[in-house]
Parts: sequence; C-alpha cells; structure tokens
Amino acid sequence: MKSNNGMIGKSIPRIGAIERLLGKPLFSADMELDHPLVLKVLPSDRHHARILDIDTAEAARVEGVVEIFTAEDIPRNHLTGIINKDRPLLAKNKVRSKGDAVALVAALNIHAAETAAKKIHVVYEDLPSVHDPEEALKNHASKVHEKGNLLFTRKIKKGNPEKAFEACAVVVEKTYRTSFLEHTYLEPDAGAGYLDPDGNLVIIASTQNPHYDHSELVSLLGVAPEKVRIVQAATGGGFGSKLDLNVQGFIGLALYHLKRPVMCTFTREETYRMTAKRHPLKMVFKTGADENGHLMAMTAKMICDTGAYGSYGLAVASRAPVHATGPYEIDHVDVECRCVYTNNPFAGAMRGFGVPQAAFAHESQMDLLAEALGMDPLEIRRVNALKAGHKTATGQLLNGSVGIDQCLEAVKPHYENALKTWLHGETDFAKQRGVGLGAMWYGIGNTGVQNPSTAHIEMDGEGRITLYTGCADIGQGSTTVLSQIAAAVLGISPDMLCMVVGDTAFTSNAGATSASRQTYISGNAVKNAAEKLADVLLTEGVDLLKRPKTDLMLENGFVVYKKDPDHRMPFSKIAARAAKRGIPLRWQGYFDPETVPLDPETGEGVPYATYAFACHVALVTVDVLTGEVTVHKIIAAHDVGRAIHPASVEGQIRGGAAMGVGFALMEEYDPSTTRSLKDYHIPTAMDMPEIIPIIIESSEPTGPFGAKGVGEPALIPTAPAVINGITNAVSARIYHLPANLERVLEASIQSGKFTMKEVA
Amino acid sequence: MEMKTIKFVINGVKQELRIPPWRTLLEVIREDLKLTGAKEGCGQGECGSCTVIMGGKSVNSCLVPAMEADGQEITTIEGLKNGEELHPIQEAFVEHAGMQCGFCTPGMIMSAKHLLDHNSDPTLEEIQEGVSGNFCRCTGYTKIFESIDAAAKSMKGGR
Ligand code: FES
Ligand code: FES
Repeated sequence: MKSNNGMIGKSIPRIGAIERLLGKPLFSADMELDHPLVLKVLPSDRHHARILDIDTAEAARVEGVVEIFTAEDIPRNHLTGIINKDRPLLAKNKVRSKGDAVALVAALNIHAAETAAKKIHVVYEDLPSVHDPEEALKNHASKVHEKGNLLFTRKIKKGNPEKAFEACAVVVEKTYRTSFLEHTYLEPDAGAGYLDPDGNLVIIASTQNPHYDHSELVSLLGVAPEKVRIVQAATGGGFGSKLDLNVQGFIGLALYHLKRPVMCTFTREETYRMTAKRHPLKMVFKTGADENGHLMAMTAKMICDTGAYGSYGLAVASRAPVHATGPYEIDHVDVECRCVYTNNPFAGAMRGFGVPQAAFAHESQMDLLAEALGMDPLEIRRVNALKAGHKTATGQLLNGSVGIDQCLEAVKPHYENALKTWLHGETDFAKQRGVGLGAMWYGIGNTGVQNPSTAHIEMDGEGRITLYTGCADIGQGSTTVLSQIAAAVLGISPDMLCMVVGDTAFTSNAGATSASRQTYISGNAVKNAAEKLADVLLTEGVDLLKRPKTDLMLENGFVVYKKDPDHRMPFSKIAARAAKRGIPLRWQGYFDPETVPLDPETGEGVPYATYAFACHVALVTVDVLTGEVTVHKIIAAHDVGRAIHPASVEGQIRGGAAMGVGFALMEEYDPSTTRSLKDYHIPTAMDMPEIIPIIIESSEPTGPFGAKGVGEPALIPTAPAVINGITNAVSARIYHLPANLERVLEASIQSGKFTMKEVA
Repeated sequence: MEMKTIKFVINGVKQELRIPPWRTLLEVIREDLKLTGAKEGCGQGECGSCTVIMGGKSVNSCLVPAMEADGQEITTIEGLKNGEELHPIQEAFVEHAGMQCGFCTPGMIMSAKHLLDHNSDPTLEEIQEGVSGNFCRCTGYTKIFESIDAAAKSMKGGR
C-alpha cells in the first residue's frame, strides 16, 4: 500500500493529551478503589548477608496491619527477570544489595504499614561484599550468586587488529568510565490491584511491558494465564526502568492472598533504592588510523557492573560492544564486554542500553585521532562513515537505510559557522568556548534475538474499526503513531479508530517499549493487520462496485472507485455483507525483524534489521575558574527513516538531548549517598540549551512507511558532543562521566587554563 | 488522635474538613477531595509536580501542612478550565506539544498560571525562571517555554 492519505508525516493531536491537561485520574496512584490496602516493602539494609530469621510478630501487632509477607508466601517461582531469572520478588535466604525486598506489609493505611515495616526484625549474618566489577572477577571474591560473578561475555572479532595497528599512522589508547545513573522518570513506580467479579486478578500499573508483567505474575503465583490481567495505566516516563517488575509482583502477591483491593506507590526514595540504574562501564579503547584518517583497527575491553541482578544486563553487555566501532567502517576489530555481578544496586535498561556509554568512548577516540593527525573532527567522521554496501564489525552487510552521511552533511553548516564565528565571540576571559561533535548509530530492536510484535484490528458490523495493541505508550506517543499507521492503510482519519492499548485481557503481546523498537516493529505489526483488513474490504468492494480491485481504494470510510469517486460503498455496508457471508473482519498482524544470532566467539551475525543514525554539535562555555559548563546550543541531526509524527520525533530529540546533557555534566548515582532528588541533579529549565532538531529521512525499506526509531538515539550523541566541546574549550579531556565541576576544574588546571587566569 | 477542622475554597467550592494536623495539603486534596491532578513526584519540595495556587502564590503542596490552607483560596489543575473550555494555557500545551508523559504537566501549568497572573508578557528568561522549580524529564523544556509564551500571547489577545 503506497498512498497514505496524508496521515504519515503529520503531527496530529496526541491521543490522551486533553485528559492529561485536565488532570484526569489516569496514573496508577490516582486510581480510586474501594478501601484499598496499602503495601510497603521492607528493603534490606545490608549489602550482602545471609538471612537467619525474619521475625514479624511485633510488626503484625501494629494496629491496622493486615498481613506481612515473606518469600515463604510466594506460591510458585520466586525469581523474576526478563532475560535471566535471578531476582527474587522477596529475598530468600540471603540479600545481595541494599535495595533487595525482604518483606511486604499490607495495612489499612500508610502509617500502619510504615510503622510495621520498622518493627520487622531481620537477623542477618553479614557476608563479605564486593562493589567493583574487576574485584568481583578475582578468585577470592565473594560470590554474589552461586554460579559466580561473571554473568555474560560478548565478543566481537573481525580481521586482525594487532597486526593492523602496526600499519597505522596513529594509534590512540585510552580508558573511559561512566557512573551509575538514575532514570528519574517523574512518576514514581505505582500500581493498584483488585479482583474482578470472576475472581481474576486485575493489576493496573505504570509499566513499559504489560505482557511481560503478565507472564511474571503467572510464574510467581502459579495461576492460569487467564486469571491475571495487567492494564497499563498512564505511565509517567520509564526510560527503561519500568521494564522490570517494580511494584506489579507485590500487588499480585497481596491480591492473591488477601483478595482485597490493594495499592502500592513507591516514594521517590523507594524508587531510588529499589529500581534499576544505568550500568557504569569501564572501557579501554585502542583505535588506529592511517595518515588520511581512515580507521584501520580498533580493540576495546569493556566491563559493566550489573549490580546484584541481571535485569537487562545481558542486553547492555551485548549492545555496547556491537556498537563500539561507532557508525564507522573498520576492518579489524576485537571487542570484549563482560557483565559482572556485584553487591551494588542492580542495573538494568536505561535509554540506549550501553550505547551512550560506548559512544562516549568511540567519539572521544575520534577526536583524539583527528587531533593527532591534524584533521578536522567532522572530516574524520565523514571519511569513515558507514554507507550502504559496507560491512559492520559483526559482518552484517548494510543494504537498507544508512543515513549517517546525511546527518554529518546536515550539521556541517552549523558546525562550520560555530567554529568560524561563535567560537571567537567575545566572552569574559575566564569563560572559554568550545564546539564539539558526537555521532552514533543504534540498532533498532533487540540484539540478535527474536523480538516480534503482534497487533489485532477488527471491524464491527457497523464498519467501526478497533485497533488492539499491547504496546505501552509511556509518554513518547506510540499510541498516536500506531493509530496513524493503521489509519493510513485503511484510508480513514485516526480519530475514527478506537484504540485498545496495553491491556492483557484484550491485547496481544507487542513486546517491550524499549530498544526504540515500537515504531518499527509494532508499527509493522499494526500495518500488517491493517493491510489484511484493507484487502478484505477491497476484495468485497469488487463484488459490490463491479470494478476491478486494482481500480479501487479506501478513502474516508468508503471503498471508492478511483476513476469516479462518487462510485463508492461505505465500510458499514461492506462489514454487514462480510458478516453475513462469514468473512472474518478481525485480523492479526505480526512482525519480527530479520536477525541472525551472534556467534558466541566471534560475534558474527545480524544483530538488527536496521539502524538509526545521528550526529549532534554542542556549543559550550567552560568557566575555567569554577569548572562550570554551560551548553548553549545543540544541533541534533537524526536519521529516523521516516518521521510518522514529526512533533513526537522532535519531542524525543529534545527530551533525549536534555537527558544527554544530564549524563554529560551532572547525573551520578552514588550507591552510598544518593537517596532522593535532593542529591541527584537532573537538568532543570535553567540548564536547557537551545536545541535545533534536524530530521533526516533516509527511508528504510523494511520500516512501516520507511520509519525506523528515535527514542534512544536522541540521547546518545549529546554527551560525546558536550565532552568534545569541553575539550575544545579547555584543551584537556575528561575521561570519566559526568564532567562535573571537580572534573572540569581539574581538567582546566591540568591544561594550564586555570593558572593562566591567575597570572592574568 | 487530635483532629482539626479547616475550611477553604478550592476551585470555587467551599470545603470543610476534619483532619489530623500532620497531613499535607497534597494528601488532603488527592486523598480526601479526590483531586488527583496534582501529583507527588518526590514529596520533598524538589520537583514541582504537586504545584497548586494558594492565596495567589504557587506552592509545593507536598510541603504545605493542610492546616495552613485554613481560610485560603486554592486553585488546582481541575479548576482551570472554564466549563467545557480549556484554559488558554492548556490549549497552548496541546498546540505546542508542551507535554509528553503528562506527569509534570499539572504542576507545570499551575506554575505557568501563577507566572502569567503576575506577568502577562514574560521574557524567555522569566518563563524559565517561572518554571525552574518544576522538573520535566521528557520534553527538554523548550516546548514548555513555547507553550507558555503562546498562552501569554493568546491571553493578551483578549482571551
Ligand atoms: S511532590 Fe511536591 S515538590 Fe515534588
Ligand atoms: S512530560 Fe513527562 S515529565 Fe514532563
């Protein structure tokens, strides 16, 4: 289906916008239930300890307490986790980090629940704890999990880098580090549950993956799948952390035993203590180029700290090395990434899955090479940029949309202008200006594993169409985009569609809202379903309109004869006739991108069917006396394939760049001191640079109407661009994120900028 | 437990409540009055998602003891629209994509209202300052600034 009735590429009003603006009760904590019990989790206060006893007697006597649960009360499997099941809902025998849930209190009110939680006496026997992944790999290290501390290793090998380095004109080797980060979505995790009249467990929650939640609840409780229904409430951001089971399991457990409405709302502190973080990575990169700047070889050793549990650690440890080359062609590659358990808070998915960390390293390397060769940073990127027909480090031949060149081209005038004029603008002598570049590539969907999406579309006897999708909209606007795709295929306006979203009683699995996969993968599933229905409508139209199918089209709820638009038949008539003849009007759509699993030893394979590309330019000022960095402007060019809803794409780019500024300059979760928003800084209205989004549409043949994705790519190039900008300003490089005041000041002192002022 | 009686007008409606003195204004409006538009993003006065207007000032209702609301006039996001019509600030947030997940939005809009109540023609810096106590993790703020600017213009145009 080629035509798209103008629905694609149009920023139609976002579904659900008005309700949000009116402050309607849409979020989990807003749910009104009949005298719900409230739940409170008792977290471990030990890094690593055996649990000898949990005494709940005193707590149970607190007025208003209804029940206290421990691991013993979990009916079936107590371990959870989307990739590897290693995280107990409630700790059994031992705790592995300070955030581990040990007991769960259900009470009539929050005061009773909190008081009781304090009166639960847990007798621990401390075990040695390990907080550094390299330490954790040593023989004598305390074992976080029985099977050992090495969770996973991913290797990518191509050619012979050691030999190739010998022929290089320049080789740069550096070590980069990043920190734990907190997603800090504005809505703390929350959920509510009740029994429906048939005794089924209904759980309404803030989540990125209702169908995964459903499977976990079935596994925890050992009940039949149809006994559990997960409904995604309005979700106030997720950024990866709401892919884990944060409150849903607790609600399910209490509901299962108590059969009364329950609510579980985390405080900000609980969200900080008990949900996933971004993996800190240590990365040793060695990159070599010839005298013209052509990248010849690279090696990288990466180690990522997944804390006490795996969560999405395997995905991070796979994605980071696969993307370690950056969006460049390199013939000789050897990358290894190890994912390691420690007694730190567990790390999981966070916008970009390890690629933001890798991009910090590969883009720093690019600038270092350019400097060593006396080349312009943009030029060295252009020389090496991937093109259609190139092969990646995993041996994948790129034959679809590869828009990195266009991104570099698009930022060029802005970049050159900034170097020529802005850089030399007048400033206070303590304020040094710098311009930096950051580029990236990002594979859409999960890495070398199946990750299908399904959708259903149904027309009723009156011709009304309903789209059913399990795809969780967490604020990015996927519901609107999916409605546009279906509407475009069916020749109707999106507001004529009824949308049923993220409700396991009605929708089928669309997979996680993660990996920037929903537009591409669920978009294709929706398109597939809509095309099947469209085909039925057209075929039925042949009989009714007495015209060949090729001369018919769908428009505004009618099957229309192209040559004479007045000759037409409304969907309602077609639906009625089809119903009479027993022709189904409910169709399923399915899409799974074509990938090939990566070889465990060489990484050879096809990890993703398509990639997004981007390049950012950052204009920064560094106060060499205080270390304060101001980002003035970010020019952000993104190849998204096709922007189905341009305002949402721009929204992702702006929000991603803001998060990227946080990653670059201020965000750091210190497990021993960070408790709440008071000690974790995210960008505020005062920190925002001007952001100029540039949308590049290098159409992807396998994408719905050519679309790829943008959610995570939006964040990835920002931090490298900012860091390269700081280097440009103070002639000293920062190798450890965030580039906070101390680190920037230190760089300024090292480079002599600081003393220069003192002399002046 | 000792209960106190407080009276206030919220969104034009008189309320009289008996509450224990330690409760916050946010708890009372969300739990007792079921006005769940104001959100709790932190409960510590950091994020602004609980912003309401009390006595002409914008306040973080999570920090305000409900007792202090006694005798006051309060406006929450639910009180902003006029009958079926959206307030110009709400309209501008739709028009200019000032929102993604929407969790920060009620608080953001109340801060915007407070700003525009006192300054009908704010500069960009004044807008930034006006919402500097409201975190948004989704939008990167620019579209929020644009929405508020557009609302100011449309309100001046006699709306
Ligand atoms: S909830 Fe009141 S400021 Fe965050
Ligand atoms: S729109 Fe999500 S926090 Fe502002």
